Amino acid sequence: MKHTHSIRSVFIATLCTLASLWIFSAAHAQVAVIVHPSNSSELDEGTIKKIFLGKTTKFNDGKIALPLNGAKDSAPREYFNNTVLGRTTNQVNSYWSKLVFTGKGEMPKEVDSDAEVVSTVAANQGAIGYVDPSAVNDSVKVVANF
Amino acid sequence: MKHKLSLTSLLLAVLVLFTSQTLAEVKFSGYGSIVVGKTFGEIDDPLNPGQTRDEIFTADFYDVGQYDNDLSFKPETVFAIQARSDLGEGLSVTAQLVAKGTDDFEPEFDWYYITYKPTDDWTLLAGRRNIPMYYFSEFSEVGYAYPWMRPPSNLYWWQVTQFNSVQAIYTFDWGDLTNSLNFFYGNEYSDDNKEMLFYDRLFGGNATRIDEIWTNITGFNWNMSGEMFDLRFVYFRNDRDRDTYNPDGSITVADTYDQFFVGLGGVINLDPITLLFDYNYVEYDDVVGTVYPTWLLSAVYTIGDFQPYISYSKADHEQDKEPFVTEDLEEHYVLGIGLRYNFHPQAALKIQYDKFKDQGDAATFYNFHGDAENIAIGVDFIF
Repeated sequence: MKHTHSIRSVFIATLCTLASLWIFSAAHAQVAVIVHPSNSSELDEGTIKKIFLGKTTKFNDGKIALPLNGAKDSAPREYFNNTVLGRTTNQVNSYWSKLVFTGKGEMPKEVDSDAEVVSTVAANQGAIGYVDPSAVNDSVKVVANF
Repeated sequence: MKHKLSLTSLLLAVLVLFTSQTLAEVKFSGYGSIVVGKTFGEIDDPLNPGQTRDEIFTADFYDVGQYDNDLSFKPETVFAIQARSDLGEGLSVTAQLVAKGTDDFEPEFDWYYITYKPTDDWTLLAGRRNIPMYYFSEFSEVGYAYPWMRPPSNLYWWQVTQFNSVQAIYTFDWGDLTNSLNFFYGNEYSDDNKEMLFYDRLFGGNATRIDEIWTNITGFNWNMSGEMFDLRFVYFRNDRDRDTYNPDGSITVADTYDQFFVGLGGVINLDPITLLFDYNYVEYDDVVGTVYPTWLLSAVYTIGDFQPYISYSKADHEQDKEPFVTEDLEEHYVLGIGLRYNFHPQAALKIQYDKFKDQGDAATFYNFHGDAENIAIGVDFIF
């Protein structure tokens, strides 16, 4: 009887741990949108969305925007597509395939990791990217959190 | 054909030259669809009363991609590779090499054009591209870009789909709406047109070759998109000519006339339902007053990675000039039901059932397509 009881406790404890881990990770499914420290243009959600859908190619100070995408299956990319662009990754890719194969747009440049997004943004005045907030450092400026 | 090849090689030469001179990077991407399908049964042959034949479902009119009772990959399977080179200063060169099952997978350069962006708002294009006719025309072969197996084939029935053109695209904001105006001018000399020769043969003709010539294709698109919708208006006109080569070497030149094309199509997102529609009206200024009203309505329901859909497309052919007024000509609808499963960020599995109902006039053999039920399953991908 005692034995059964302890198994049950372990089981419940495991479930609780998994649940809290899930809540923890869900709470941390966030992205920080980053630009070069010299970029002082105003960036609200609508403008960020337009830049990443190729509907505008400039910041409101007139500088050309260079949007960067995370790696293909990365969590920040999935989260950014769903939360900021309001579409599934599949829908975003489908949207871009219409433009890319008719010569009407170029998909945001894809880089391999959050670290590479940060280093590319730090090195380019017009670059804009999104990363897990833990990847942000002093070399870039955070303009929005989602 | 020779003309087309030399243009292609010229453009490729330019591409290679620029690439080697500036060490510009060539970016490769592509798309494709692997589709297999078949029709279900047999019908009384509309053109040979008393005889039966397989139901024939035309999935691609322009390339004459047709399913019959034998399972086949050929009517719709396509692979395309796109090469794009940025030459700097707003100039780029793009070419698409396309291999289709209907051409026994012999690759051809279907698209090749130069893009120049003099300012951020203007884009100039010159070269070979699809004519921006229907809402889905320009990307009609990129299966991954739309929910269905194909844009409803009984609307995308023209024997000419591409042209050599110059285009100017102007983009601007109007409040929260993103707009683009696309002005175009081009010509298409479709020598030895596949679809026209197919119909000549179907009706017992003996032409050795038919050239379909659309010139001075002049018009514009106005595309407007907001948070929840995308709308597109199109207008263009062109001259129509047709030369039929007879077995004795003579050429029959058809009466030439003007063609006018107007349409309004778009997508409305009412999450989780997406509505897609397209209405088009084509008019010839010929003796009999030929008109072709066509329309499409489709609904897609998105549940996670699954997208069940239904579509209905209707095509009609009428004459509206006295004394030739009649509606007893070509007429058909396609009812399609299917499912898109987004099993991978860059690939989708689709299964679609189509019912083609021929409502054409039997007495004048305008019911020549015949009824058909078709099933197709395929995978669309981009890379």
